[in-house]
Amino acid sequence: MRLPLAWLRTYVDLPDDVDAIADKLSMLGFPVESIERKPTITGVVVGRITAIEKHPNADRLQVCTIDIGAAKTLTIATAATNVAAGQWIPVAQIGAILPHVTIAPRKMRGVESEGMLCSAEELALPAEWFEDGIMQLDESLPLGSDVVAAFGLCEPILEVEITSNRADAMSVLGIARELAAAYGTALRAPSFENPASLPSPTERAPRIELRSNDCTRFVAQRVEGVRVAPAPSAIRIRLAQAGQRPIDALVDISNYVMLEIGQPLHFYDADAIPNAHLIVRDAAPGERLTTIDERELELDERALIIADENAAQGLAGIKGGSASEVRASTTALLIEGATFVGARIRRTSARFALRTEASSRHERTLPPALADAGVARAAQLLASLGAQLFAPVVAGGEIAPTPQIALASHELRRLLGIAASPDSIAFHLRALGCEVAVDGELLSVRPPWWRRDLTQSVDLIEEYARLEGYDRIPESLPSVPATEVSSARYRREREAAFLLEALGYREVLTYSLVGESLLGTLARGGLDERARSVEVANPLSEEQRYLRASLEAGLLAYLARRDERAAIFEIGHAFARDERSVLETPTIAFARATDPVEQPEWREEGFARVKSDAIALLSRLTGAAVTVASGEHRFLHPGICALLSIGGRELGVVGRLHPYLAQSFALERPVYLAALAFDAIPEYVAPTYAPPSKFPATYRDLALVLAPEIEAAAVERVARAAVGATCVGVRVFDEYRGAQVGAGKKSLAVRITMQSPSETLTDTAVDERIDAAIARLHDELGATVRR
Amino acid sequence: MSALQPQLDDLAQRLRAGADAANDIAALEELRVRFLGRNGEVTLVRRGIGALPPAERPDAGKLINDAVARMEALLDDAKARLARGALDEELQRRIDVTFPAPEASLGSIHPVRRIVDEIADAFGRLGFATVLGDEVEPSYYAFDALNIPADHPAREGFDSFFITPELLLRPHTSPMQIRTMQQHRPPVAILAPGRCYRRDAVDARHLFQFHQVEGLLVAEGIHFGHLKGALAHLSRSLFGPDQRVRFRPSFFPFTEPSAEVDTTCPKCKGNGESCSMCGGSGWIEIGGAGMVHPNVLREVGYDPAVVSGWAFGVGVERIALARYEIDDIRRLIESETEFLRQLQ
Ligand SMILES: [Zn+2]
Repeated sequence: MRLPLAWLRTYVDLPDDVDAIADKLSMLGFPVESIERKPTITGVVVGRITAIEKHPNADRLQVCTIDIGAAKTLTIATAATNVAAGQWIPVAQIGAILPHVTIAPRKMRGVESEGMLCSAEELALPAEWFEDGIMQLDESLPLGSDVVAAFGLCEPILEVEITSNRADAMSVLGIARELAAAYGTALRAPSFENPASLPSPTERAPRIELRSNDCTRFVAQRVEGVRVAPAPSAIRIRLAQAGQRPIDALVDISNYVMLEIGQPLHFYDADAIPNAHLIVRDAAPGERLTTIDERELELDERALIIADENAAQGLAGIKGGSASEVRASTTALLIEGATFVGARIRRTSARFALRTEASSRHERTLPPALADAGVARAAQLLASLGAQLFAPVVAGGEIAPTPQIALASHELRRLLGIAASPDSIAFHLRALGCEVAVDGELLSVRPPWWRRDLTQSVDLIEEYARLEGYDRIPESLPSVPATEVSSARYRREREAAFLLEALGYREVLTYSLVGESLLGTLARGGLDERARSVEVANPLSEEQRYLRASLEAGLLAYLARRDERAAIFEIGHAFARDERSVLETPTIAFARATDPVEQPEWREEGFARVKSDAIALLSRLTGAAVTVASGEHRFLHPGICALLSIGGRELGVVGRLHPYLAQSFALERPVYLAALAFDAIPEYVAPTYAPPSKFPATYRDLALVLAPEIEAAAVERVARAAVGATCVGVRVFDEYRGAQVGAGKKSLAVRITMQSPSETLTDTAVDERIDAAIARLHDELGATVRR
Repeated sequence: MSALQPQLDDLAQRLRAGADAANDIAALEELRVRFLGRNGEVTLVRRGIGALPPAERPDAGKLINDAVARMEALLDDAKARLARGALDEELQRRIDVTFPAPEASLGSIHPVRRIVDEIADAFGRLGFATVLGDEVEPSYYAFDALNIPADHPAREGFDSFFITPELLLRPHTSPMQIRTMQQHRPPVAILAPGRCYRRDAVDARHLFQFHQVEGLLVAEGIHFGHLKGALAHLSRSLFGPDQRVRFRPSFFPFTEPSAEVDTTCPKCKGNGESCSMCGGSGWIEIGGAGMVHPNVLREVGYDPAVVSGWAFGVGVERIALARYEIDDIRRLIESETEFLRQLQ
């Protein structure tokens, strides 16, 4: 919200230093987002053009005689075309400082010019919002008076953020009220009441019908004798400073009241409302409304409207309709000031994408009494321009009083950590307009009508803390009692990350929301992920329409786009469609792109590397042994894909990227991927210590010849079972295929290690077990020993 | 004194002279054979025991053995001296220790995780547990239970991605407050880090996905001063011992009193003056905080008259930008190798 400091100062005495005021506002909960500072302007006074003549030597210049209330008039030449005798205008005297110029006496084509007539732009106002040429001032201004001081032209404008709970602070007066409370000074508020005895408009009296509970109050007042003409200078200039374009006196007064006290108003041309009968109701399906900015809306029952007896005349709290808007011929007005249930207004304004100054106030739910104040204030301003007022008509019944709230002063100590005396609490709350009764420790508080957000004691505690200043509350550290909540999941995720770092992977982040470009690449690689992907109902763009179904795709995109040689990992969530909900899987995924190496087709060193990384990770996280078996996964080469499991529970996969996907991502280097489902990984079980045997271990190496499809895991399993209790290790450590073993065969080298806890094994005992193993390997796997 | 002693002393004397003069192991071996060998000079002395006066004979054996031990020690010393000569030669060798070595194959931890982990550590020291949760949440946990009923104006501010009208990508990690308090009786002290989502257009300062760390402490006797102390502790843990925090009143439906939390700008140390990081204010905003709203405590079955607590939420990316002086928030998610390498 734009807050002209000059306007604020009319209601409350403030320090000169704008930065101090901005700090104060920030520390009250109204952050100042920016300060628009104005250039220095001096020496500009109110003048009147008493005579005007053509310049003797220049067609485009006129020579004005200006009365500035002094004994001597000024002669000023101007090129402006909108000047006429009798006008009140701003005059920059000799020596005046304007934004881009200092005024000095000068000869203009032979005529001595003693100053300059000013346009709005020269007074640091938006040129396009005022007269083209010399700015026009009210005739009531004293000649010779200081224009800059009168309108605060050099005062900065504050851009202030108002939190959504503060319906009362969306106005200059609302902020002035806060500053007055904070500085402990008086507020100079104008009167917001209609004169006591206004004539009744008799048969033309407004009739108001509330057919919806979403309108909490509706005030209508008839005003006659209005004229569509420019508003007084003070109003025009203040509106411009507040960022609102001046239009004419009627529109400007309506905007002025909204900015001043926060109540949006609507002015109807009274003659356009049959029987002065206004109805607040839900729109009928298909009902149409043309707004004052000529937008055609098709309504339905979700929209709350103000209608006359025939048709919608406005979208309640958002925008008026063009049919009954004020026009040049208007002489009588119906002023509408109403309050609504904020949510209703917000929903409608969102649905029609119609966000207005009015709706931004109404959607916070304005206090009902504000409607009366706003209408009365507008009536008063119109009366000052000569309009005739009639008594207002009100619908909405009695306004419920704000609640009486009990507050014990020790509650402040409990929640804020500082002692607050009942008197100091009462002092601050009274400054905010509360009625406070103190009874020992107990306070009974009634908030003012404009603070409907204060409903329970904690609300008052916050008000106290805000006015006392958060910086007055000393810092201290709590002593936290032991709690039962566990950090186990976090610690495990952390450990996984640090293990992967140690294994040489860099952690990356990728987007959880993905779209066509990624899904399209996957689809070209033969993977349709759309079917399994969860769709976002309101994405920002097509590129973010889906929740990622895997982390692997993001890693591949990273390799393809950012670094095709990287070893990377990400820990995050993958999402899948479920019956009614979303299935969310915390996942660890890592990928390593390698340099191509010369190797036989049956060997894959890159795979071995990533597999051992995955096994190391899993066994460190669980303290258990990992089982590897061949398997399949949609991202992986069907012949180079392993399933990893512990105790029969499948944890994830590791393998080489599927060649189709490698092609569609244009990844030329071999890429190996692993993906592990975090929540499937068993809890860590602490191992127990077994002292090593005192007796020496013995091993035998065997060269086995087998069919190529027999897996090393089978060899290890069979050999271990055959050797029996003294077997402490079986490990296949080499593979060979080629001429020496013959076509259709492979050779595996396996080392069997044996050790007894109670004796030294004799060669005979060892050989006997090895022979048993060779026999079993032959019987079960068809293996023969190559000597 | 035995007549044998001077004789043995003489032998030792001569052996020492020989050992001192020896230049190699062979010369020492020759000495050993000459003096201590089977037919060496000591053996000759031993053979002469029978010729000694009867009174001296009983001690003679011990005298000779002592002398032999002394002589062997002399030879060992000499041998060690010669061996060290060879090591001294090794000690003359020099290599160029500045010659570049191959780089260790360590990876790296993402700056976002590093910051989360430091926060978890800082609060771990205060007794907080760190918990993780889902990213898709029912609106009950994201809003309703947090005192943001349907139609509350604050919902709009969270500008969330919805899957269905009742299911959304969490716009903050605050749902973990509710989930934790529903599962545990007070006291509760948790930190909830995680990915959050809001419909922000991506630019140098905004991402539609970001990380937040939520903190929650509920117990008897917990007050706003503790909140200030805990966040000052956090800021000092992240940015250094001289950090200060500033609390400004604000509004969040789930806390009251509520505050925006600023900390001393780590770049200009609060001096402001044309600082690009803080825009000259000397402060940077790190998050929001406040006392848990009594409506939230009631919602989870806690009695606000007995327990009190506070909660805060800090933006991890925002801290990362300040801490590492990152010019563009997108770099965090782009995770370019060079970026990760510099911040590893
Ligand atoms: Zn700074």
